[in-house]
Amino acid sequence: MIYLIEDTINGILMGSIYGLTALGLTIIFGVLKVVNFAHGTLLMVSMYAAYWTVSLSGLHPYLALVIVVPVMYVFGYYLQDIVIKPIFKAEKDVREPSTVIIVTTGVWYVLDNLTLMVFGPQYRSLPDNPLQGKMIELGEMFISVPKLWGAITAVATAYAVYYFFQKTRTGRAIRACSLDRDAASLSGINQYKIYNMAFGLGTAVTGIAAVTLVPFYNTFPSVGVLFDIKGFIIVVLGGLGSIPGAIIGGIIVGIIESVGPQFMTATWTEAIVYGLFLLVLFVKPSGLFGVKYDW
Amino acid sequence: MKFNRFWAATAVAGLLISGLIFTGPAAAGETTIKIGNIIPLSGPSASVGQQGKNAREMAVEEINAAGGIKSLGGAKLEMLYADSESKPERGVSEAERLINTEKVNVLTGCWNSAVTYPTTAVAERYGVPFIVPVSVSDKITEQGFKNVFRIAAKDSWWTRDQFAFLKDMQTEFNTPVKKLAFVYENGDWGKGMAGQWKMLAEKDGYEVVLDEPYPSTATDLSPVVQKIRRSRADVLLLVSNAADAILLTNTLAEYKVRLKAIVATGGGHADPFFIKAVGKNARYLFDIVEWEADINKPGAKETNAKYKAKYGYNLTGEAVDAYVSMYVIKDALERAASFDKDAIRKALAETNLTSGPGMIVGYDAVQFDNSGQNSHASPVIVQINDAGNGLERITVWPKSARRAGYTPVFPKP
Repeated sequence: MIYLIEDTINGILMGSIYGLTALGLTIIFGVLKVVNFAHGTLLMVSMYAAYWTVSLSGLHPYLALVIVVPVMYVFGYYLQDIVIKPIFKAEKDVREPSTVIIVTTGVWYVLDNLTLMVFGPQYRSLPDNPLQGKMIELGEMFISVPKLWGAITAVATAYAVYYFFQKTRTGRAIRACSLDRDAASLSGINQYKIYNMAFGLGTAVTGIAAVTLVPFYNTFPSVGVLFDIKGFIIVVLGGLGSIPGAIIGGIIVGIIESVGPQFMTATWTEAIVYGLFLLVLFVKPSGLFGVKYDW
Repeated sequence: MKFNRFWAATAVAGLLISGLIFTGPAAAGETTIKIGNIIPLSGPSASVGQQGKNAREMAVEEINAAGGIKSLGGAKLEMLYADSESKPERGVSEAERLINTEKVNVLTGCWNSAVTYPTTAVAERYGVPFIVPVSVSDKITEQGFKNVFRIAAKDSWWTRDQFAFLKDMQTEFNTPVKKLAFVYENGDWGKGMAGQWKMLAEKDGYEVVLDEPYPSTATDLSPVVQKIRRSRADVLLLVSNAADAILLTNTLAEYKVRLKAIVATGGGHADPFFIKAVGKNARYLFDIVEWEADINKPGAKETNAKYKAKYGYNLTGEAVDAYVSMYVIKDALERAASFDKDAIRKALAETNLTSGPGMIVGYDAVQFDNSGQNSHASPVIVQINDAGNGLERITVWPKSARRAGYTPVFPKP
């Protein structure tokens, strides 16, 4: 019984972090209606940013947020503005522009290989820091401190983003764009600026996810791919474009991954996750929290 | 049409005749022994191929400088290299070329098991002795061939030695080990090793408390580590790739999993960046490798220093096997005192090399069994520990190869 509780807690903590890594994906999709294949790569870039900030400054890993979040916002903003926007404009009559997907795939390959060239294939993990390897021990039960911090950050970030979309003027403008681009433009919203901001926001949230991962995970050029696939599953599970859906979807995947291996071999839990993914697609294609009309 | 066919037939006949004429006298007036080496010099395995080439060059330079093959009037060894590009079909065609056109006396190669396997069949057909320094797949020496001789330990011996090591440690430190946990990456390599572990565990009377494959791409291995912790195993045996080796080692330390020992199987644990990435969490870990630069054998340090000065990096297990191969060939040629491939083959089969510059390996002799496998070959086991110069890999097993003055730490404190 105690094992089950311990595993469920680990699943919820790790799952919230998975949800956080997928949150940026769902934000970008919700607004641009584009599946961003470069999402894992953005996470990788953020992890390198966080890794270098922490290892060069020697500060507490979470202080890297102060640098990583604005840097990644700017990175995302201009990636959209310079690379993706021209394609978007060329396809402006299409609701879900598919060539943009190809462009993001290009961004993925270019950035991954550029990182490989510049930093090499090494696996980097942070030198000693206040979070590394820390555990809360409750009798037989172990709770990972860096994961706990990560989970709290994930929930807080999701709330903040949700609040931003619901209550602020910019947030409403972003939602207006996602509902109907043309109507939003007619109301005086500069839709391309909104897209830049949404992309920047999605990338900044990915930056937060990277900061939570760096204290206990390795940084290497292809790290994004591992979280990428998971991110897509989580987002579809929770509902594309849904913010609470991303976190809940993440927690579901996390619990399956953590509790499952106690009853079977770890390789089988992957099959269960994919099975559930297919089931959701059959039964409720819009995902658990997705609505027929976005937002 | 007719004309073409006529000329083609003539050409073939001409080739056959010239072949008959030139094979005979070609063997008579030779002053060099030709050694054909088929190794990957381009393509995905090019860097290991280059290391094998360097080691061969160094050995042959030494042998020729020391007067060549004395029983053949000081005949020199002549090296011919062919690039396999890691492709089986290239290996086969290069073997044909080296045998028929270059008339090599001995062949060596090919590093990639997949290339060595079909290439040895060509050598067998022509009766040319074929030395395999490293290609670990079991089946290479299980074809019933008479001309194939392998220096390195084969696949199944790695697991055998991990278990022999476990047994020796228990006697040496008087600490019984009863329960084993197997955790391995979910690929051919991991599953293959685990299959052999299971058989050996049954034979040696261990209880297997956990048998767990995991996906190498896992982003969280704490569920697997929890299973290890709850299994209350004494010893954990691992097969891991790079990222998962780091993640497992760190997570095991975080959950304070109490084990008497962790025994890894190279791969991710032997990666040059592994120790750097996990730091003190790697301490006391055992790993199995072909050869380590600190091995306690006379001449090993000097040979490694010479190699490093020449090429800029340490000898690796593969390079040492290539180096040894050249001395095995030299030894056989001295005893054969002939250029004839059958005489060389016979001498190779009777090899019992125990001394000389080539014997910097972890075992005591090179001798081939009926299948052509070096029956003494064995990998060495290292322990990661700090012996005063920071964390490093220290050879601990077999005892004859153990670093002087080092006592392995077992069980893990």
